[in-house]
Amino acid sequence: MSETFTSPQFDQATRDAVSNDDVTVIIGLEVHVQLDTESKLFCGCSTEFGAPPNTQTCAVCTGMPGSLPVINERALQLSIKTGLALNCEIARYTKWDRKNYFYPDLPKGYQISQFDKPICGQGYLDITAPKGEFEPRRVELERAHLEEDAGKSMHDESQRGGNSKIDLNRTGTPLLEIVTKPDMRSPAEARAFLTELKLILTYIGVSDCNMQHGNLRCDGNVNLHIKVGGEKIATPIVEIKNMNSFRAAERALGYEAGRQLKLWKQNGKTIADAPKQTRGWNDADQVTTPQREKEESADYRYFPDPDLIAVTIEESEIESIKKEIGRLPAQWRELLIKEHGLKPYDAGVMVGQGAEVVEYFLVVAQGCGNSKMASNWVGQEVLRFLNESGEAIDAYPVSADQMTELLTKVNAGELDQTRAKEVLQEMIDSKIEVQAAMDKLGIKAVDNSEIESLCRQLIDENPDVIQQIKDGNGKAVGALIGKSRKLNPNANPGLVKDTILKMIGA
Amino acid sequence: MDLSTLSAAELVKRLSSGELTAESCTESFLERIKDRDSSLNSFVSTAESAISAAQAIDERRSTGQAVGALAGLPVAVKDGICTAGIATTAGSRMLEKFVPAFDATMVKQLLSADAVVIGKTNMDEFAMGSSTENSFFGVTKNPWSDQHVPGGSSGGSAACVAADLAPVSIGSDTGGSIRQPAAFCGITGLKPTYGRVSRFGLIAFASSLDQIGPMARSAEDCGLVMNVISGHDSNDSTSAKNDVPDFTQTLNDSLKGLRIGICKEHFGEGLDSEIESAVNESVKVLESLGAETVEISLPHTPYAVATYYVIAPCEASSNLARFDGVRYTHRAATAKDLTEMYCQSRAEGFGEEVKKRIMLGTYALSSGYYDAYYLKASKVRRMIKHDYDSAFEKVDLILGPTTPTTAFKIGEHTQNALAMYLADIYTVSANLAGVPAISIPCGLTSAGMPVGLQLQARSFDEASLLRVAHQFQLQTDWHTRRPNA
Amino acid sequence: MSEPIDRKTVESVARLARIDLPEDQIDDTASKLGDVLTYIGQLEQVELPDDVEPFFGAIESVNAIRPDQLTDSVDREQILSNAPDADGEFYQVPPVL
Repeated sequence: MSETFTSPQFDQATRDAVSNDDVTVIIGLEVHVQLDTESKLFCGCSTEFGAPPNTQTCAVCTGMPGSLPVINERALQLSIKTGLALNCEIARYTKWDRKNYFYPDLPKGYQISQFDKPICGQGYLDITAPKGEFEPRRVELERAHLEEDAGKSMHDESQRGGNSKIDLNRTGTPLLEIVTKPDMRSPAEARAFLTELKLILTYIGVSDCNMQHGNLRCDGNVNLHIKVGGEKIATPIVEIKNMNSFRAAERALGYEAGRQLKLWKQNGKTIADAPKQTRGWNDADQVTTPQREKEESADYRYFPDPDLIAVTIEESEIESIKKEIGRLPAQWRELLIKEHGLKPYDAGVMVGQGAEVVEYFLVVAQGCGNSKMASNWVGQEVLRFLNESGEAIDAYPVSADQMTELLTKVNAGELDQTRAKEVLQEMIDSKIEVQAAMDKLGIKAVDNSEIESLCRQLIDENPDVIQQIKDGNGKAVGALIGKSRKLNPNANPGLVKDTILKMIGA
Repeated sequence: MDLSTLSAAELVKRLSSGELTAESCTESFLERIKDRDSSLNSFVSTAESAISAAQAIDERRSTGQAVGALAGLPVAVKDGICTAGIATTAGSRMLEKFVPAFDATMVKQLLSADAVVIGKTNMDEFAMGSSTENSFFGVTKNPWSDQHVPGGSSGGSAACVAADLAPVSIGSDTGGSIRQPAAFCGITGLKPTYGRVSRFGLIAFASSLDQIGPMARSAEDCGLVMNVISGHDSNDSTSAKNDVPDFTQTLNDSLKGLRIGICKEHFGEGLDSEIESAVNESVKVLESLGAETVEISLPHTPYAVATYYVIAPCEASSNLARFDGVRYTHRAATAKDLTEMYCQSRAEGFGEEVKKRIMLGTYALSSGYYDAYYLKASKVRRMIKHDYDSAFEKVDLILGPTTPTTAFKIGEHTQNALAMYLADIYTVSANLAGVPAISIPCGLTSAGMPVGLQLQARSFDEASLLRVAHQFQLQTDWHTRRPNA
Repeated sequence: MSEPIDRKTVESVARLARIDLPEDQIDDTASKLGDVLTYIGQLEQVELPDDVEPFFGAIESVNAIRPDQLTDSVDREQILSNAPDADGEFYQVPPVL
């Protein structure tokens, strides 16, 4: 940051007088994404989650003496793909460095990472607030670099000083670390960034972003800029670790911003008075707590890894990866809004469900010829089902073609909305197609003469309602529609209404 | 029949003709090791599996099946190179009980050529040293004088060949660790071009400098081994893809018109006068074979040792971080917590020289010093490489002494590390630049100690080194002189 | 950069390198490291062209990559067999205190 801050001491009264309007929250994020490769970054061991401990390791990923790393081509390609989707400059020359520190789940005593020549340089990601909580913002990305994951340490939590157990299955799994500039101004923006990032990564298929498996992890850097006494000060930066869901991230950042303001009001300490601190988010207690600093953790003694050679990336390779990317979420939203008339919020919800839902929608919208109807049905019926069942769209019992057939009948007036929903439910319950469901429900076409005699009966039997309509109370016809449904559930209510009005000359 | 003095080429010939079986050949060398190595200490271990491996080769040969180029030839391998199922210690207490699950690529190549690995040779711990005094398994003695060191770090590999305990051996060279002991022990040792021989399975000291190579009694024998161990390995990212010639095919090509540069920086202060005259005599031999000699300069030579002692310890400090007491190393029995486990295991498992170099490298890479040490040294390294590039525009080979002195006495330099480091003064540059270099015997001093002649060539031109060395050896008999003969 | 290294620095370097250094060896270590540092201090004198690129590795080719293909992992029993302490499933280390 080029801004400079003063570190004057303000007295208690001045500090107390600072209002929330004088405070800006400054947030930067570091996101680790596990790239979806079959094998590890530097050896052929599997990256599959959940195998028994220490069954997916070899000489290379356990750092046996004499073993050497060789880079996984797919990890490079997925990194480039991610960089392109995030508008990053793609390096034409990228190299590998060692980050040296001791930990039992780091077999070589160093992590192979990238220091000064990351595979992806500066980029950006635009975020918008789904419900308008903040103005649209462009979050600049500092870089994204490729590195190997560490293994897993399981410490004895009993406080009795038992041994720690080490599982190296995860060691060497490829991670892309995406680092933003301190560009976010609220926890909600941070959450929106993470949500959009995850969406992009899953759309382009570089990671499944499964947070339970640790395939997407995020740390946040947060501090406050405070306008006080005509000057601007900054509070010490805190890095928050262990934010293991987006909701947790939002809460942790919010908690930390509040804590920092309170602390500053108490002690007046600014960024000049304290080094960066690391705190962990405790989800159970909803607080951040100080993390024990790793001894000399700051001195990683980076230097170029002499076991690996540089990688050059050709323009042609970048171009061919570009072609694999397809539409990104923002482009899908724009398409849905502009070409299918969806409201921005609805487009956001639809796209937020993933590419398969969008594709489902497009098949239905194009097939039935009514985007608005398709959007309502997919947005309400389908998504409700998926939310309730927790299933993905490929598990939804009604295919896009069947949904299209159903909505085509609605669009043609052969089925009204209410009946159509009954049909849909029957299709789901009995796992049958549209026509079979209609047959099962006894739905058949009603011809004009039947409609006319039905309307004549309704007029004859309800003279007082007819009178109300004639007196100008148009809504009164609703009572007749209800009765019509009882007499003949297959009669189209719209048609019944129109016929009655015509017959009574209203 | 005494097999011990036969060349590898001759042994291979007799094995191939059926005059000799692999089993009897292997037995004979193992027997010699048993008889003579207790005082020499060139081996850390001998391979129990050697006899059965030799029998299997005989069996295949007798039933008419194909056998490899080195079928039945006994080979000794430096103990810093991984051998599956055979303890591999790198001369360190840290790895006293380590048994690798895999063979180094180079060992695989030897085995698939049907060579017989007869044992693992002693070395300075993690190849850090120039005397083989820094081994957890004791000092190796120079076969020419039990008062003297064999050189290092591949001292065991040099001594066992010089003492006829193995016809050929494998060493590794980070700053001179093949050539300097070859010179001290009166044998031929080749450090190939960086990338020529796979490093996969070589326990790393300094990854950008380490290179495996052959040690033997003649250039021809080195060539035989080079034919087997050279070539690209997809498991080593730094392995070169260059074509591998048949190194034995061009041994007899004429030296007429070959331009040999005499590096003036290799004849300065500190060079033993007897070595200087032996080298000058060698120049005359090569001239008589048609080579032209010119004086050249490698102007950054005076800084090579300093450059090396920044880069090698920096890489080593990181390479040796994996020896942490968790997966395969010595662990201190007394450690109560994680930090103690690290600090005590490493304090106990590493010897003094290794600890010193780790601390040196740790310091040089630490915050605030990177530019002054590692970065600066890497830039000087570029200048050293430039020196070679310029020189090789004018000449085909560079000639000079391998070492400034002959083998020093055991204990002579143990209190003066810098004096020890300067034993590598003529050899480290080749590692820094990546070029190949060979040391061949070119004389004996009045005290009866061997003198080494070093030849260096362009990257991937080991063939020229072997050719010149071979023809020199056709004209001279220094390489056939044996200790106590 | 050529001044000898002091006790405090030696202690912190030993800690960073995770090597226990007994109190009575600190001075000796400082002096031995100091000798080498003084010697390598001569690099300061080397004048370099402004545009000289560092040479980090003795091979300057690029792009050694492997396809994303699985190879067999090592049998757990075998890989744990070299460990000073393992329980059949995990490596074990003393607790972090």
